[in-house]
Amino acid sequence: MTATAYLTGLGRYLPGAPVRNDDVASRLGGVDRRTERIRRRIQNANGIQQRYYAMDTEGRTTELNEELAAKAVTAALADRGLEASDLGMLATATTQGDLLVPGFASMVHGRLGGGPMQVLTATGVCASSIAALDAAVSKIRLGDHARAAVVGSELSSRWLHQRRFEGVEDHLDAHFLRWMLSDGAGAAIVEFQPRPDRPSLRVDWVRQVSLAHEHEVCMRAGLHGNALEPGKTWQDFDDVAGAERAGLLQIRQDTSVLGELAQVGLAQFEELVELGLVDLKKLDHVICHYSTNAFRDVVFDALAARVPGFDASRWFSNLETCGNTGAASIYIALDEAWRTGRLQPGQTVLLAVPESGRFSFGFAHLTVVAPRQQRSTSA
Amino acid sequence: MTSTALGYVPPQRDSRPLLDRLSDVWADFEARLEQVPILQALAAGDVTIEDYHRLLHNLRQQVVDGSLWIARAASNFDMDHFDLRSAAIGHALEEHRDHLLLQRDYLAIGGRLETLQAGRKNVGSQALSGYMFTVASQPNPVACLGAMFIIEGLGAQKAGEWGRRFAEVLGLADNQVHFMIYHAEADVEHTGTMDTFLTSDRIDADAADAIVSCAKVVARLYVMQLTELDEI
Repeated sequence: MTATAYLTGLGRYLPGAPVRNDDVASRLGGVDRRTERIRRRIQNANGIQQRYYAMDTEGRTTELNEELAAKAVTAALADRGLEASDLGMLATATTQGDLLVPGFASMVHGRLGGGPMQVLTATGVCASSIAALDAAVSKIRLGDHARAAVVGSELSSRWLHQRRFEGVEDHLDAHFLRWMLSDGAGAAIVEFQPRPDRPSLRVDWVRQVSLAHEHEVCMRAGLHGNALEPGKTWQDFDDVAGAERAGLLQIRQDTSVLGELAQVGLAQFEELVELGLVDLKKLDHVICHYSTNAFRDVVFDALAARVPGFDASRWFSNLETCGNTGAASIYIALDEAWRTGRLQPGQTVLLAVPESGRFSFGFAHLTVVAPRQQRSTSA
Repeated sequence: MTSTALGYVPPQRDSRPLLDRLSDVWADFEARLEQVPILQALAAGDVTIEDYHRLLHNLRQQVVDGSLWIARAASNFDMDHFDLRSAAIGHALEEHRDHLLLQRDYLAIGGRLETLQAGRKNVGSQALSGYMFTVASQPNPVACLGAMFIIEGLGAQKAGEWGRRFAEVLGLADNQVHFMIYHAEADVEHTGTMDTFLTSDRIDADAADAIVSCAKVVARLYVMQLTELDEI
């Protein structure tokens, strides 16, 4: 027999003050006319109005990624009324930690404190958030830990600053993400019991699927052109500066296949329906991570055609106000949906995280449950 | 209690077979357990994780003494009771690590080791433990078979039921109910071994009385231990 896992606390941390579209260049640089034109075009397309950067106006990084993560976990713990010492496990998700070695989760644990705990570093891109959640939920369900924290955290601004672009071979496909990604962290507490004082989110299932067997790399850094060969990755150049000059330290996106990503993602959703994991008649909320509003329209329209009574009140994203924070975004969105009272006991929530990296998809199905009734007489 | 036209008559020796007498003690014990508040709540499905946490915490403080009094009893059996000594030594060894199973469950539901280890016996556990050490300290403490009859019977017939019920009501994983479920499995073997002792010729009338009496005391003190949770 396995236990049930519940999300009992949520928290997020977004560094600094929100940065409006016109102020983005004050952080990331890139004020020449061509760059500015590209930036405006991309900003108009993705629909993001404001985002957060752990970077000051001099382009200096103000916080470590591990700090963002630890602050989000601390916020989630506070939401639940727990301390770091109550945790048995910490599962982290990030695209790129502060260091090459060791793993991000070890660094976040060191920053967070608490006692001995299991750590897991899930890397990848956006869907690593769901991989980390899956690991934590599985260990809770096995009864190996009573409480775990999951955190998605990103500090991509340091990869997007002008200094990563000057003196570097020009690649237009590096601009798409430059004006889209931003910093932040979101966290959830996972427990084997619902919280006694407020509703919790029961985790009904978690699912992560890679389709890399039939798709080429789409979003990447560290790869020279399309040359997936020994000696051609960023670690194989004579020096790292050479790799940087060749554009290997930029995050690049093959935007031509993004339409396909949306379609494949919808096919994955259909599979969930076919497998009975999603009941269209009982699906109350969809919280979807996406990089640009262009996808929102495609996906929203498709869902509205499939899910009876599906309208804007059942769809949630805070891409426009919090930016695209990669592995952190699904928790940052869930935190806001939860805090603002959108999710009521009895309702179901589908979390959906498509990842363009090499076509992978993370989903989780949640049900809002009310606290257990406490009996009046004590034992 | 017996009364006649002459008024009060003290209890007479019960000459029925020992197993029949113990069977009555067991039935009485079960009836008493049904009155224990936490077990009533459990049966009603009206327990929280705090109840399970509390129960493990309270039980542990006495469970750690289990192998100690059995070992003491073993050391008090002379050569004429060699088989009982052997059985007690074997049993003490099995019980010796029992509290570690409980500890695993306690940690798996989020309890802290230092809290568990710093716990004290509740008033029922104090009485039970104190009584058992007293009985076990007698020469050839055959009466201890009565205590084992109750405690092993509880493990074989009740603990598993409680463990499964807690798991069902609270949605616990197997890894959180080792102690209670293990008892259901291991104690079935123990009670089998004990039945051969209880039915052997060497249990004379005095020994049978001592066994029944000990079983009655242990049954009552065990109920007290389960009722007086956190009363230290």
